Amino acid sequence: MNTRLARWTAALVTGALLVVTAHAKDLELLNVSYDPTRELYQEFNAAFAKHWKEKSGQTVTVLQSHGGSGKQARSVIDGLAADVVTLALGYDIDALAQKGRLVPPDWQKRLPHNSSPYTSTIVFVVRKGNPKSIKDWGDLVKPGISVVTPNPKTSGGARWNYLAAWAWAEREFKGDQARVRDYITRLFKNVPVLDTGARGATTTFVQRKIGDVFLSWENEAFLALKEYGADQLEILAPSLSILAEPPVTWVDRNVKRRGTEAVAKAYLEFLYTPEGQNLAARHFFRPRSAEVAAQYKDRFLSLPLVTVDEAFGGWQKAQATHFAEGGTFDVLYRP
Amino acid sequence: MLIRGVPSAVLTHLVCLSLAPWTVSARADEAAELVELRRQIQVLTDRLVALESNADRAPSVSHTPTLETLDQQLRVLQRQRELDTEAATEKARATPILNLGPGGLAVRTPDTNFVFRLRGYVQADARWFVDDPQSAVNDTFLLRRVRPIFEGTVAERFDYRLMLDFGSGQSSSAANIGWIQDAYVNARWSPGLQVRVGKDKEPVGLERLQSGSNLLFVERAFPTLLVPNRDVGVQVRGEIGSGLLEYQAGVFNGVADGGSGDTDRSDEDKDFAARVFVHPFARTTGFLRGLGVGMAGTYGEQSGPLRGFTSPGQQPVFSFFSGNGSATSPSVAANGVHWRLAPQAWFYHGPFGVLAEYTVSHQDTTHAAGTLSSREALDHQAWQVAASWFITGEENSFRAVTPREPLRFQDSGLGALELAARVSGLNPDHDSFPAFASADQSIASAFEWALGLNWHLNRNVKLQFNYSQTSFEGANKNPLLADGERTLLGRIQFGF
Repeated sequence: MNTRLARWTAALVTGALLVVTAHAKDLELLNVSYDPTRELYQEFNAAFAKHWKEKSGQTVTVLQSHGGSGKQARSVIDGLAADVVTLALGYDIDALAQKGRLVPPDWQKRLPHNSSPYTSTIVFVVRKGNPKSIKDWGDLVKPGISVVTPNPKTSGGARWNYLAAWAWAEREFKGDQARVRDYITRLFKNVPVLDTGARGATTTFVQRKIGDVFLSWENEAFLALKEYGADQLEILAPSLSILAEPPVTWVDRNVKRRGTEAVAKAYLEFLYTPEGQNLAARHFFRPRSAEVAAQYKDRFLSLPLVTVDEAFGGWQKAQATHFAEGGTFDVLYRP
Repeated sequence: MLIRGVPSAVLTHLVCLSLAPWTVSARADEAAELVELRRQIQVLTDRLVALESNADRAPSVSHTPTLETLDQQLRVLQRQRELDTEAATEKARATPILNLGPGGLAVRTPDTNFVFRLRGYVQADARWFVDDPQSAVNDTFLLRRVRPIFEGTVAERFDYRLMLDFGSGQSSSAANIGWIQDAYVNARWSPGLQVRVGKDKEPVGLERLQSGSNLLFVERAFPTLLVPNRDVGVQVRGEIGSGLLEYQAGVFNGVADGGSGDTDRSDEDKDFAARVFVHPFARTTGFLRGLGVGMAGTYGEQSGPLRGFTSPGQQPVFSFFSGNGSATSPSVAANGVHWRLAPQAWFYHGPFGVLAEYTVSHQDTTHAAGTLSSREALDHQAWQVAASWFITGEENSFRAVTPREPLRFQDSGLGALELAARVSGLNPDHDSFPAFASADQSIASAFEWALGLNWHLNRNVKLQFNYSQTSFEGANKNPLLADGERTLLGRIQFGF
C-alpha cells in the first residue's frame, strides 16, 4: 500500500471512530415492562437519568415498552432488544432464561428480595355505591355479575387474579378441587371480554363502562381512582388476595452486546434506593423498604395475602398446572 | 346455563332420581362414593342458591332483557370489536408483507427493517451490420444481459445487493469476473453518510453509472470505454442538502479502462475514486430544476495488461500489443500513474433530456520488444452528447421512466415513445503509435452519430431500435474498419 493511500485510509478510519465515539457517550436503555407500570417508570426514568448524569457524567435515555407481561416476555425472546425487563411475574423472566437463554437461570438471586423491588396485590374495583353489592370472591360467580379481568394467557396481572381467586376458593371449599374448579369455571363465565393486558382491562371497565367489578392490580386500581375520581369508582378489599411480586432483571445477552451492562444494573439497583422506593410507593406499589413502607402505610389496603410459593408451590408449578397449553385454565375456560 | 330457568322443585326431583343408583352403592358400604355424592350435591346446591338469589333480585322472572343488560351487551360487542381490531393491527405489524408487482417480488417486515427483493432483467438484442458486403462481421442475435438481482435490507440500515449476469459472452472465471456484477453491503448511517463495501461500479463515468436497464441507446457511448466498470473496494457516499449534492469517494483495487475486476492480481496499489454531482436548482421550480453538473476522477498506480477499445457495434477498434515481449511480438502494459478526469452533466426538463460527458484517461505505459523498451504517458480522450424526447410527453429522467399510459391491447394505451440522438467521439493518444499499438490495425480516432427510437410498452417491457454510424481515422489496413461501421441494433428488454 502506498503512503498516500495509507494516509487516506487512516484519516477515514479516524473520522469514523470519532463519529462513533461521539455518539457512544449518549446511552440508551430499553425497559420492557408490563402494562400498569407506565407512570411509575416515566417518573423513575427521569430520576435515574439525573442520578446517572451526576454519577457518571453520561446522558442516559430510557425507552419504555409496555404490554401484557407474557406477551412482552415473548417479544424479548423473539428479539426485542430489552436491556432490562420489569415484568409482572417471575415465570415470564424464567422464560427468558429457559427459552431464550437471555438471562442465567439464577437471575432472581442477583438483586435483593428475589429481584422484586416492590410488591402489589389484587383488589376489586366496583362502580360507585357498589350497586351489585359485591363484597368477596363468592359474589363474582352470581348470575348477572359481569367481571372484568384480562386474559391469563397474555397478562401477568390476570394470572395473579386467577390465582387469587383459586386461593380463595381453596380456602372457601376446604380444598375440594371439584368445587374449586366449578367456581373458576363460573367465574370466567361471567367475564364478557378478555383483554390482553391490565391496562386494556382498565379501559374496558373504566372508560368503556363494561362490567360490575374489575379485578385489578392494587396500583392500577388507585391510579384509576385518582384519574377518574372517587365519585365514579370504589376499591374493595376481598377477604383474601395474593402477594404479587413483580420481578426485574437485566437481560445479559442484550446488555453485553450493547455495552450497557453497568448502566442497566445501576438502573435496577436504583429501584431499591430510598428515592426509588419512594417513587414506587407514590405510584401505589408496595415498597420493600420497611422505612418507606412505614411512611406510606395508610396508602395501601390491609388484607390477608397468600404467596404463590405457599399456595401453589411456586411459579413454575403454578404455570404448568394452570396456564400451560392444556392446563387448568384451558380446560375450565370455555368462551 | 343448563339449570337456568328450571324450577327448583324439578331440580330437586332430578337430583333425587340421580341419587338412586348411588344409594344402591352406598348400601354396599362404598364410603368414598358417598363422599363424592355429597360433594356433587353441594355443587348443585351452590348453583341452586345462586339461582334463587338471582330470582329474588328479579322476582318478575321476566326473560325480557332490561335496558341496562342491552346497554352492557352493546358495550361488550363494541369493545370486542375494538380488541379484535387491535389484535388484527398488531398481527399485521408482525406479519411479513409479500408484494409481487412491476418492481419484482418483495418480502418485507411491516417496519421495513428487513426487506428482500427479487428482480432482474433480460436484454435480447439483434446486432446487424449494414453495408458489410464481405460479411467480415457476423450479424447476430444475442442475450446482451441476463441479470437476476437479489437485494434488500437487514437490520434497518444495512442494504445488500447481489447482481449476476448470464448474458452472452459472460463466463465464470477464477476471479468470478463474469457472473458477479454487483455484490455489496451498503450501511446507511444517514442519507448523507453511507458506507458501501464490496463490488460495485466505481463512481466515475456518468453513463456507466446509469443502470443497464435504463440506457438511452443499446450500447453506451465512447466515454464509458475510458472509465472503470465494476471493482471491489470501499466507498463513502451520500446526499447532502436534500439532494442538492451527491458525493462518492472510495478506495478500489483499480482496473484498466472499461474493465472490471474481483481481485488485484497485477499490483498492490489501489485506486482512489471520487465524484461530486450537484443539482444547484433542485429546490426551485424553474426551468433549470433538472440540471445536474459534476466532476469525477480516479487516481492510482497501475500495472498489468491494458484493454483495447471497441466500436458501438462492439467490434475491437483499438488494441495494444499483447505479445510475449520478443522483438517480433512486442508487449504493452500499464506501469505507473493512472488518473482519469470525467466532467459530466445532464439536464432534464419535461419530456426533454440531454446528457453530456467528457473523459480523459492518463496511463503511464511501457512497451517491450526484445531488448528495446520504452515508456510513455498516454492520454486517451472520449466525449458524448446524447439527447432524447418523449413524444408521448412523459417526464424524462436519468432513471427509469414510467409510461403515462401503458400499452393495452384493447384500448388507447400506447406506452411511451422516445426519440434519441447521440454524437460521440474517441481519440486514443496518438503517441500510442507505433510502439504501443499498430497504426495499421488500430484507429487513430472515431466519431459516431446515432439515432434511436425507444418504445416503453410499460414499466417492464421496452423495445429499442438504433441506427449507429461511425467513421474511423487510421487503421487503414484493417478491412473491418476501412469503411467505417453502420449498425442496426435492436433490443427487447424484459424487466421485473
